[in-house]
Amino acid sequence: MSLFASRVSLGRRSFYDLRTYQEDPRWPGWQVISRQKLFSESLTSNLDDSPNTHVSPFDAAYPGTLPVTLFLLDLPSGYQITNNTVSPVATNGELEIPVSDSSSIIVRIKQIQLEQVHTAKSTFDPRTSKSYIDLNRAGTGLMEIVSEPDIRSPEEAGTYVRTLQSILRAVGSSDGNMEQGSLRCDVNVSLNRKGDPPGTRCEIKNLNSVRFMMAAISLAVPQETRGFDENTFETFRLRSKEDAPDYRYMPDPNLGVLVLSEEKQQSLDVLLNVDNGVVHYFEQLCQAPSRNGQKRDPAVLLNWLTHELLGQLSARQETFSANPLSAEQFGELIDLVQERTITGTSGKLLLRYMLTSPSSRSLEKFATELELIALDSTSSLGSSASTELEGLCKAAIAALPSEVTAFRAGNKNSRGRADAAATRSLVEKLVLSKPV
Amino acid sequence: MRTNVIKKWLSPSPFRTHISWYSTHVHHREVISAKNPAVNAFVHVSELSPSTANNLPLSGLSVAVKDNIATSRLPTTCSSAMLQNFTSPFDATVVKLLEQNGADIIGKTNCDEFGMGSLNIHSVHGPVKNPIGLSQAPAEERSAGGSSGGSAAAVAAGMCHAALGTDTGGSVRLPASYCGIVGLKPSYGLISRWGVVSYADSLDCVGILASDVDTTRRIFEHVTSYDSRDPTSALQEIRDKARRHTEEFFPFSQPPDRIINGLRIGIPQEYFPSEMSPAIIEHLRTLIALLKTQGATIVPVSLPSTSYALSSYYVLASAEASSNLARYDGVQYGSYVPPDPDTDLTKTSKVYARTRSLNFGEEVQKRILLGTYALSADAFDNYFLQARRVRQLVKNDFNRVFSMPNYFSDSINYVDENTSDDHPPVDVLLHPSAIRTAPLLTESPSASEGDTSLSSYVQDVLTVPASLGGLPALSIPMKVPQKDNDGKVQWPVGASIVGQWGTDDLILSVARAIETLQTQCQ
Repeated sequence: MSLFASRVSLGRRSFYDLRTYQEDPRWPGWQVISRQKLFSESLTSNLDDSPNTHVSPFDAAYPGTLPVTLFLLDLPSGYQITNNTVSPVATNGELEIPVSDSSSIIVRIKQIQLEQVHTAKSTFDPRTSKSYIDLNRAGTGLMEIVSEPDIRSPEEAGTYVRTLQSILRAVGSSDGNMEQGSLRCDVNVSLNRKGDPPGTRCEIKNLNSVRFMMAAISLAVPQETRGFDENTFETFRLRSKEDAPDYRYMPDPNLGVLVLSEEKQQSLDVLLNVDNGVVHYFEQLCQAPSRNGQKRDPAVLLNWLTHELLGQLSARQETFSANPLSAEQFGELIDLVQERTITGTSGKLLLRYMLTSPSSRSLEKFATELELIALDSTSSLGSSASTELEGLCKAAIAALPSEVTAFRAGNKNSRGRADAAATRSLVEKLVLSKPV
Repeated sequence: MRTNVIKKWLSPSPFRTHISWYSTHVHHREVISAKNPAVNAFVHVSELSPSTANNLPLSGLSVAVKDNIATSRLPTTCSSAMLQNFTSPFDATVVKLLEQNGADIIGKTNCDEFGMGSLNIHSVHGPVKNPIGLSQAPAEERSAGGSSGGSAAAVAAGMCHAALGTDTGGSVRLPASYCGIVGLKPSYGLISRWGVVSYADSLDCVGILASDVDTTRRIFEHVTSYDSRDPTSALQEIRDKARRHTEEFFPFSQPPDRIINGLRIGIPQEYFPSEMSPAIIEHLRTLIALLKTQGATIVPVSLPSTSYALSSYYVLASAEASSNLARYDGVQYGSYVPPDPDTDLTKTSKVYARTRSLNFGEEVQKRILLGTYALSADAFDNYFLQARRVRQLVKNDFNRVFSMPNYFSDSINYVDENTSDDHPPVDVLLHPSAIRTAPLLTESPSASEGDTSLSSYVQDVLTVPASLGGLPALSIPMKVPQKDNDGKVQWPVGASIVGQWGTDDLILSVARAIETLQTQCQ
């Protein structure tokens, strides 16, 4: 795979908007392009930017940030190998994401490409003024999924990333763990008045949580709007001709042409079609009625399946095939949370127990044994739970003078069994009615 | 540093023994001690390893290695200030193979910085002097050619049996021609480039220099094998295909000189530029006449894209170099030069610029700049892509004249253009290796500008096309009378035999036959 440049992405792009304009009270007109990076297993930095030309609030907090003079320390070869122009892995796709309970939008995927993460991990010790470079991660593969400018709000951007994350986990191409750097987002934001063409793009790189990403979009835009009058205008004018980074693409002479015979192509197709069973598992979950005989909510099931079950499995470096929980057990666990017999936190904890020491026992019995039944539970088991919660809260407040500390202590004593909302209202009530 | 190493070998050797192969190695080290201060071929000499086995295929051969090929026991400087203190943690595959087969890696040889140059004058170790001129009376300081000048001079001066060089655009064949020895640039992909410091990956080949064809072949046979660590290494099945095809038409079992009988030798008309010295054309005529008497069919052929090959080569090689040399920034590799106190430290480039400006030589800087320009967005289409198109035309030219197809072709839509019958196909091409004999070092355009600095590139016209085509090419000394009619000493010059990809055995056999024939009619 030896490839050429994506001058396309650097150059002009036509404004595409088939969607009806929607009023957003925060500021008029949204356009978000999300460029999302996917790592097979490693962190990366972005090296093709001139230092300090587009700094975002998040860049400053990013660990390993180095003094500008050492910015390219961690790129040993001085170049990066990518397949973004001649033959991306895939082009012209789309992803349907829900924007409300009843409607969804299509986000077009421009292309999916592979890149070499050529960067090392670098850390700066301010005490000794020394930089340390760890080359362990240099050279691992990265998949970049580039969307078209079809996203119009931070919420849509968040949904888009979460949906992608679920799909990637389900097909097993990534563990999607953002906090570990396996999945990251580069977001391009441009702002315009209603009816005007899109404004100058601002790129925010290396966002490692959906929450941060949504916040970044909300924060970055007004800042730059202000910057448009001043010198900062230059700073953000990424895509003007004179400032456009010249990547100096060259086909890598060390990488030849990969010729796939018909035969080989078919065997690859077969591989792509292999279902690791997760779809069937999901269907089983959906089809079985819940504990109280109702139809389970597929959205909730999907959320638990992709984020909790697949997430915890990947954290254990296991694939779905190693999942020890039957669909019945996992369904029961979700039901227990849904009917508030256990809290979400306890549900996750229970799931972790089940993954560590698999058993075919009833989840509810297991939860009772582990004392995970929710304190304010209104279910059949929860008759004395409310009073227990009140007692705990009172003890907590009495033990510690500060409200904040009391909050934390309260949560610790309850070992995650306390429903956050119920605890808050109860503590507030107690604090207000009976000064300590 | 260099002289210190040499002095070590001037001191009474503890390894003097009665074993003959052993004393050969000692002998070569003594020759190095005696001659190297003047020739400047070696930049590092190894200590003799007493444990070397004496029953391996290459036992008894002392082989020098160009200083841009990684060795773990000797530094690898690439003749650059940038890597002056660099020792590789690993051995290049080719070095490992030599050692496994019993060869004595006798030392590292001088070269043009990162292989960029034709005269071996762009070196942090100083220029290499052609040993032939030094043994004359009065002595003359002539170039050994480049960039593998140290390797060629080491062989010519009798400091070793053979030497490895690298050939990107003629860097083995030209010094071989200037120094009067054999220089083989094998087909691209036959010898692993793992451990060879890249100049231009798509052109770089490890080459072999030796005083005769048999030694060249002996070394070649033991270092050519598939290597999974070199992604451009030719797969065994492609090697086999080319070999089978070659053997079918040229059974090597027959006596060496018989191979000439019936051989179709193409003489490419574009390989005689006006700059070529008339004496060289005369020498080639003599050789052609000799080959005809042995039953060779001489076929005039045309390779019309040749005139553009040089420009294509310099754009592509420089572009690849600008990328390959990006790693030498004084941080990971290269000697770091701290910036001036008044440097604007907010500009990263200024910090690197100082290290790179001070550590890279003039020629390397020139090529990095040219390559950087050729890859810039504005110039990419007109320079880089155009150069690639020209390269394909050059390849097409070769494929059209050779009787055998190119099994290594990386083009999926490879079209066999043998259908053209302007000329009947040929088995090998034959042309002079150089436009002139070794120039005096004083006429080297090291510091001068204008015409002279461009003339050093004109020479490459004869060697660059085979590099662009990835074809095997071997330079063998032509028979030159000791003195010309005016009684002046005649300098050696080589003839190049070029074959289709993978016909290295064939061109070695042809070279062997020429060697024998030239000796016989003395």
